[in-house]
Parts: sequence; structure tokens; C-alpha cells
Amino acid sequence: MDLLLLGVSHHTSPVSLRERVDFSKRGIAEALHELEGYPSATEAVVLTTCNRAEVYVACADKDATQTDLSRFMSEFHGVPAAELNPHLYSHSGAEVARHLCRVTSGLDSLVVGEPQIFGQVKEAYATASLERATGILLNKLFPWSFTVAKRVRTETNLGEGAVSVSYAAITLAKKIFGDLKNLSVLVIGAGEMAELTATHLQSHQVERIAVTSRTLDRATRLAQKVGGTAIDWTSLEEELLQTDVVVTATGSSSPIITAGMIGHVMQARRNRPLFVIDVGLPRDVDSAAGDLEQVFLYNIDDLEAIVSENLARRQEQTSRAEAMISDAVRDFLAWLHSRGALPTLVALRRHFEAVRQSELKRLEPKLSRLPQEAQDRVDEVTRLLIQKLLHTPTEQLKTIADQVSATHYAEAITQVFRLDDDNDASSSESKTSAAHTEDKTPVTS
Amino acid sequence: MTTITIVLLLLYLAAGVSYGFFFAQRSQMVGRLATLSLTAAALIHTFAVGMRTVEVGQLPFVGTSAVISAFVWLLAVAYLYTEVTTDERAMGVFIVPLLVVLQAISALSDGAIEPTPILNSHWFALHVVSLLFAYAAFALACVVGITYVLLFRELKSKQLGFFAARLPSLHVIDAMNGRAVGVGWLFLTVGLAVGTVWLFQLQPDTADPHVRAMSFFDPKISVVLLSWLVYSFEIYARSVIGWSGKRAAWLSALGFSIVLLNLVPIGYFLTDSHNF
Repeated sequence: MDLLLLGVSHHTSPVSLRERVDFSKRGIAEALHELEGYPSATEAVVLTTCNRAEVYVACADKDATQTDLSRFMSEFHGVPAAELNPHLYSHSGAEVARHLCRVTSGLDSLVVGEPQIFGQVKEAYATASLERATGILLNKLFPWSFTVAKRVRTETNLGEGAVSVSYAAITLAKKIFGDLKNLSVLVIGAGEMAELTATHLQSHQVERIAVTSRTLDRATRLAQKVGGTAIDWTSLEEELLQTDVVVTATGSSSPIITAGMIGHVMQARRNRPLFVIDVGLPRDVDSAAGDLEQVFLYNIDDLEAIVSENLARRQEQTSRAEAMISDAVRDFLAWLHSRGALPTLVALRRHFEAVRQSELKRLEPKLSRLPQEAQDRVDEVTRLLIQKLLHTPTEQLKTIADQVSATHYAEAITQVFRLDDDNDASSSESKTSAAHTEDKTPVTS
Repeated sequence: MTTITIVLLLLYLAAGVSYGFFFAQRSQMVGRLATLSLTAAALIHTFAVGMRTVEVGQLPFVGTSAVISAFVWLLAVAYLYTEVTTDERAMGVFIVPLLVVLQAISALSDGAIEPTPILNSHWFALHVVSLLFAYAAFALACVVGITYVLLFRELKSKQLGFFAARLPSLHVIDAMNGRAVGVGWLFLTVGLAVGTVWLFQLQPDTADPHVRAMSFFDPKISVVLLSWLVYSFEIYARSVIGWSGKRAAWLSALGFSIVLLNLVPIGYFLTDSHNF
């Protein structure tokens, strides 16, 4: 059994294609059901976000499954294979584990370190479990990747600092006021930027949002969208008295809020802090207002500078995170290889058992003369003997971490004990018995 | 120095170093170690104060060295209380080094002082404990004030970094400062009032030169009155003029430097009264 992954992401495909292979359109559950029609994949998890669409599977034959999966991607989304295939990437074995860890911890995201992806992967796995599409391999892989991602996030500062302008504004508001729930926000202007920032603030459940614009109609429309109240342009200064956060984004060519106006307001506010976010271009607020003691004035450049600094800081942490993931993948690989040796171990155990049974059968005439208790004892002792003989080789095989050695060992064991012959003739017990009676396996009688 | 003094000093030092490392690296394990060392120090300190009380028969707050040590003890307990209730370890790096320095001063001048019968009074205990509580609260206020200014500067200069990533919001720090000053002022007022009443009871019929030297012109008394005025003004300015935030922070720093001045140099060298 091996792991295989096939997908597209922002690294390999344009947004126009990613939109067409978005699993959420028809639903992940449906995708998992349709995957059942491709029996080469024995387990599956489907992950879909706005930046990626990936299918993780467990399979016996990698090549055949890969062909099946690309056919599935193409047919499920109705995108011609010729168009889709150049953008597909695939990984197998340990690389699937590494990729999943990078995805889950946010290293592979468009915005490095973004936290949402963790929840999205968890949800994808939960859906697959619910649909009973996962098995031994994926049930080990996904929870393991969550543990690794959690460690990466707590031990590096990968997820720290705002990396979008509106998130930077929210972070600043929190650093100044603490809880945003009691805040009063004034939005000046009704354009796209004003709406974006107001929506972000609204999602943090601020107490009150007032919207003002030179045209009251536009202010009213935005106010309705963000659950605020529209106020008249002429009562701007009055509103400045009671607000905590001001977001300005008008298209005005000259400043609409002067330092004098804010100075006057601040006196009346008895120096209560005022956070002014000026995302207008050109700027709406006279920069001298920022010199007033309790006024925190940030324009779009200031916010963008914070964002790029945070991004650079996150980038610095990536090498540490990659190293942590590599260590974890090594452990996972060891587990995976121990799974790889499993068929050999099962065959070996079956072989020993066959020898034992044949010897017991051969000695049956003699043994039958013994009392029942002694016969049971012989059975028990031979069984324990086999268990003891096999214990060390089993443990040794499970601990071999590198794939090549594991294969060599498995092949050697198969040849030495002629396990292939056993498999071929597993139905013919007599042949196995004959072949191994020469082994003189000790039998106590 | 007794063994217990050395152990205490080492524990406070270990806590100080750990809080420093915690602040720089934000490793939770180091943070827990810091809290653990400080808790151990505070417990041993409590034990030491208890033992001394039993030994002397009155609260061991006589002599500058003992007073400073008691102040360290109360501040450590007050800080631990704040840390546990707010789950906020970031302030430790500012408080614990102060504990280390004061405890070192107290330890280096460690000298056993015989109990004075005049101090064997409930008034004395109330007076000293109130004032020490007040000073511990003022120390906390000063430290949170300093952190306010540090964070304020980062936010104003738009260079968010070290402190913005580690400290709570300006609003929270300011509220902590206001509360600490309020509590401190209350205890200071009670301590001063109790001291005055006690003095009026003692002065007519005592020949003790220390008690006779107590007047508004004694440096220890005039400086403590000055600190009372500073804190009274801070409370007035905050509630009436709207002097919160940075100005309140500076005022609490000014107030506490006066308190420290009173506690260390004046306590040691300048006062005729208050040296029993």
C-alpha cells in the first residue's frame, strides 16, 4: 500500500482553471462517492480551498491510480484532460506526507502562515471519515499532520502578524482599544475600500458603525450592507466626538479632515484615544493630525509597510518550519515502511504456522497416544516457540526506516524461506508440508 | 547574610532571568519556570516573615532593611496575584528585576534589630502594612506605566515590533495603571492617617528621640506627603481633566521615584524619625 496525491494549486494553475476544478461546487461527499468508481484508490480524502483542489489516496498500484485520478479530476469537473493535465502535480509515499504537512501548517499557502487552511484540511478529513472513505493509511496520515502543523505553528512565529491591510487595521485597533466590541466606528466615504474595512470591523461585532458620504444615498446603501447607520455629511465633526475608530476612503482631492479639526475634537473628547485609518488616495486626513497625543493616524502606506514587514518575518521562519517537517516526515516514513514489510511478515508467520501444522500432522499417530492434556501442551509449546522465533525479526523489520533496505530485507526473507512458493501454493498444504519437513523444526513430544 | 536570605535572593534572581528570557523568546516552558521560581521565592519569603514574627513577637518590619524586604515580599505576592488572575506574564520582566535589586539592597544591609516596645502596637502594624501595600501598588502602577509608554511609542512611530507583539492593549495597560494607583492611594491615605493618630497618642508622653523628631519637616514625612500629592493629582487629572494614558503613566513613574527615594536613600541616611 502506498500514498498518492494529485492536485492543482495556485503554484501550478491560474485562478481561471482553479475555479473550474473547485470540488465545493458539487460537494466533497459527492466527489468521494464518485471516487468509489475507481477501485484502484482504496482510501481517499478530497481537499478543496480557493487556492487548491487535491485528492489524497491510498493505493496498491501507483501508476494505475495516478491515471485513474487524473481521469477522475477531468471527468468530475468536466474539464478536458488535455487542458487540465499540464497543471496537475502528484506526489507519492513520503512526499505526500511532507506536502500535507506543508499545506496544513500554511507553508504552501499563497499567504505563508495563514491559519484558515488548518481548519479546511481538518474539515476535509472529517468529511472523508464520515463518508467512510478513509482507512488505515489516511487515518494515520491526517491526524499526524495536524499534530505536526500545531507544533510548527507554536514553535515558530509562522502565523504571527497581520498580512493583509484590513487585518493590519484590525490588529492595530485591538492593540489600542483591546476589545473591539465596545467600539464606535465612523466610515467616511462609500467606496470599495471603505466597504471592505467596514465589513471587517463589522465581523468583529463593533458596537456601532456610522457611515457618511457626500451623497447620503450612497452612505445609506453602505450602512445597510454593514448594519450601520447613515449620517449626514454636515454632522461629521459632531460624530468625530463620540467615535473611537475613523475609516476614511473618499476620492477627495484635498484633505477632508484637518489637524485643526481633530485638535479641536480631541479637547472635547478629553483626550480619549482616536484611531484614524486613512485608506483614501490621495489622503483624506492631514498628516499633522498624527502628531496629536492620543491620535493614532495610519494611512495606506503605513498599513502596507506593516504587512510587508510581517510577510518578511514569516518568510524567515519557513526554513525552521521546513526542518521540523522533515524530521516529522522521517518518523512517518519509518511507520509507512513498517507497513510495507507487513505482507512479508504475514507470509513469514503463515509459513511458520504451516510448518508447525504439517509437523503436528506427521506426528499425529504418536501424539494421539498421549493424554489430551499432553497433546494440548505440545500444541501450546510449538505455538509459543514460533512466536518467540519470529519476535526479533518482526521488530527488526518494522524499524527499518529507508525504503531500499526495507525492500532488500523483505526480498531476502522471501527468498530464504521461499515465501513466494508458499503464496503460489498456499492452497496446497501438502506441498508446503513436504518442502519443510526437511527443516527439522524441533517439536517436543 | 543568613542562608534563607541567600536562597531568597538566588530564587528572585532566577525568576528575574527567566522572565527576561520568556519576554525575549516567548517560550511557554521558560514562562512557567519563571512563575515557578517566583512562586517559590514568595513562599519562602512568607515562611521567613512568619518565622521572624514568631521569633520577635511583632511584625518584622522594623529597620529599613526589613521594610524593604517586606516590600519585596508584598510586591511579589501582588504581582503573582495579577499574573494568575490575568494570565499575563509579560509584565514580569519589568517587576521582578526591581524585586531582585531591592532584595539585594535589603540582604546586603541585613542586620538584626532588637524589637522596640514602642512598636509593639496594632497601630504600628496597620500603619506599616498599609504603607507597604500602597508602595507595592505604586510599583505595579509605575511598571505598567512604563510598558504603556513603550507600546505607545511603537504605535505612534508605526514601527510595530517587540513590545506590540508582547504587551496587552494600551486600553488594558491604562486601566491597570488607574486601578493600581487608586488602590495604592487608598492604602497610602489610610497608612498616613493611622500614623498621624498613633503619633498624637505617643508624642505627649514619650522621651524616644525618634518619635519626638516626627514633624512635617522630617524628610521622610515631607517626601511621603509629596508622593501623596502627586498620586492625588494623578487621580484628579485622570477623572476630571482626562489625563489618562501617557500622562498618567509619567505621573505614576514620578510618584514611584519619590516613593523609592523615600524608601532607600532617605530611609538610610537622612531621616531622624522612623529609624527604630
